[in-house]
Amino acid sequence: MTFHNILIMRHELLLTIVMLLVLIIDLFATGNNRKLIIPIALILFLTVTAIGFLPAQYGQLFGGMYITSGTTILMKNVLNIAVFIILLQSVAWLKLEENKQKLAEYFVLILSTLIGMNFMISSGDFLMLYIGLETATIPLAALAAYTHHQTKSAEAGIKLILSSALSSGIMLYGISMVYGTTGSVSFAEVALQWGNAPLQMLAFLFFFAGMAFKISLVPFHLWTADVYEGAPVNVTSYLSVVSKGSAAFVLMLVLFRVFPSIVEHWQKVLYAIAVLTMTVGNLFALRQQNLKRFLAFSSIAQAGFILLGIIGASPLGMSTVIFFVLAYVFTNLAAFGVISAVSSATGKENMADYNGLYQTNPKLSLLLMLALFSLAGIPPVAGFFGKFFLFASAASKGFYWLVFIAVVNATVSLYYYLLPVKAMFINKNEQPVPTFRSDFYMKAGLLLAAAGTLAVGMLSIGYEYIASFSYGLQ
Amino acid sequence: MNNELMFFMLSAVILVFSVLTVTTRKILRAAVYLLFVLVATAGLYFQLNYNFLAAVQLTVYAGGIVVLIIFSILLTSHISERAPIASAARAALAALVTVAGAILTLITVMQFTFRPAGIPPISPNVKNVGRALVSYGTDGYALPFEAISILLLAAMIGAIVVARKESNNQSTK
Repeated sequence: MTFHNILIMRHELLLTIVMLLVLIIDLFATGNNRKLIIPIALILFLTVTAIGFLPAQYGQLFGGMYITSGTTILMKNVLNIAVFIILLQSVAWLKLEENKQKLAEYFVLILSTLIGMNFMISSGDFLMLYIGLETATIPLAALAAYTHHQTKSAEAGIKLILSSALSSGIMLYGISMVYGTTGSVSFAEVALQWGNAPLQMLAFLFFFAGMAFKISLVPFHLWTADVYEGAPVNVTSYLSVVSKGSAAFVLMLVLFRVFPSIVEHWQKVLYAIAVLTMTVGNLFALRQQNLKRFLAFSSIAQAGFILLGIIGASPLGMSTVIFFVLAYVFTNLAAFGVISAVSSATGKENMADYNGLYQTNPKLSLLLMLALFSLAGIPPVAGFFGKFFLFASAASKGFYWLVFIAVVNATVSLYYYLLPVKAMFINKNEQPVPTFRSDFYMKAGLLLAAAGTLAVGMLSIGYEYIASFSYGLQ
Repeated sequence: MNNELMFFMLSAVILVFSVLTVTTRKILRAAVYLLFVLVATAGLYFQLNYNFLAAVQLTVYAGGIVVLIIFSILLTSHISERAPIASAARAALAALVTVAGAILTLITVMQFTFRPAGIPPISPNVKNVGRALVSYGTDGYALPFEAISILLLAAMIGAIVVARKESNNQSTK
């Protein structure tokens, strides 16, 4: 291994450097200088995101523990874009008096979880996968409890850490069975020896349960709503977009790489979980009043749709999943961005507070409407094509009933996605949210998310670019 | 035979004290029960001739971590405080799920015929462990070793974020 070789880890290396730089700058920043950390961190992270798109070499390092390919780099770039938008949207909230003292920590924690996710995506064995998973989870609990003087935020942190500890334990037990039955934790080695003995099935189920917790698939979703509601809005959007998207990527990579020999079995598991997740997520979303809870259940339902892309085990499925996550990133960040803007300006997060928002803040209302339309899957915005391709990939493998159930669910979801739209545009309100102006960062973040939502839907070039990297089961 | 007897004794200690750890209502007692679990686990490692691992288990887990846990309990909570009693229905359900899960796992593990590992085992002495920890080729663990350091750094910063007092904000304004 030479210096030249190690550069194929550039995503992780650059992120680590940025994280340490922010930490060091924070040591020397005092008083009002502390605010300068925000633009510095943003510029550094933008540079990292841009460098991520430069042509890269693929390969393996550390005896196969670290693997990159076109697909993994693409996944990491999608996550980087999402994190950049979230950071832009967090600035207004970070500048609040109560958060000023610990704003560098916010960046460091976000970056460290992102490093963990990158390692997870690039992992070539279960050991790295597990370490990446923990690095992606433990700092998130601290982020959820970031405003811990609020009881709800502290509760969110403790709920996240306890339930993730339980799920990590289950997953680790599964991994120990993998090691016990094959004598190896390396993906390549395990894939060669994997059979369908009952113990190996159990090992797979335990491992799957751990991943399902991260993606918050039903029945492993119970933590989601409380944590999403209690955590600060920006952390919630990070949880629902980046954390969930990365876990979906990893689940897909592991299923394709490690468990191709039991594909018929995991397809059955995914089938049942997908139906449950879409339906339960939708039914609970119908009756939510808090917008963060509402988006929590909506994101559970969306995770069910993602499974439709994975279940086909085909290159088409893989590219549709990446495409869907990209569309979902922009769409959800547009929605969460509006909620974050309203929340940091007024502290209001309930649907009733949004009554008559169009009268006072027409631009934000239009943006939220665009995002909700995209989530519901109304053409021509990104979400429609995301769902369309997912359904097409599942149907091309003969999962007609699953696609039918998904379409029914998508129709049901249309109803509740239109509820906030109705609140903003039609419902009357004596005291609507007053007109307010967002700062430059928030505007940039919202604009990026909106542009992405439209561009991903309108331009087919993105999809073709993604499709050129994808692979299914060999 | 002696070895086997020792194994069963250690396992019994681990089982009993693990259950006690999660069922006791006093948090300090839970920490002490956990200490016994960790010490008995070190005993299992000694049985397998993993002397280095056993030493680490004793010094880091039984020595360091349990002391840390006890310190943080003494600093943050009242020792006399007792955890609330779980409702009977809830306790019964939890017991049912746990026992059913344990039986299911046990049956599947018993059914499986384990094969001896193909590769000859490397002697787990300190020299080999140390070399594996920092080498970067096949069977090297430099990458996880470094990745864990990021995890620990992030965990420390996270702990500071959670533990920092809000009043600091006002004083530095």
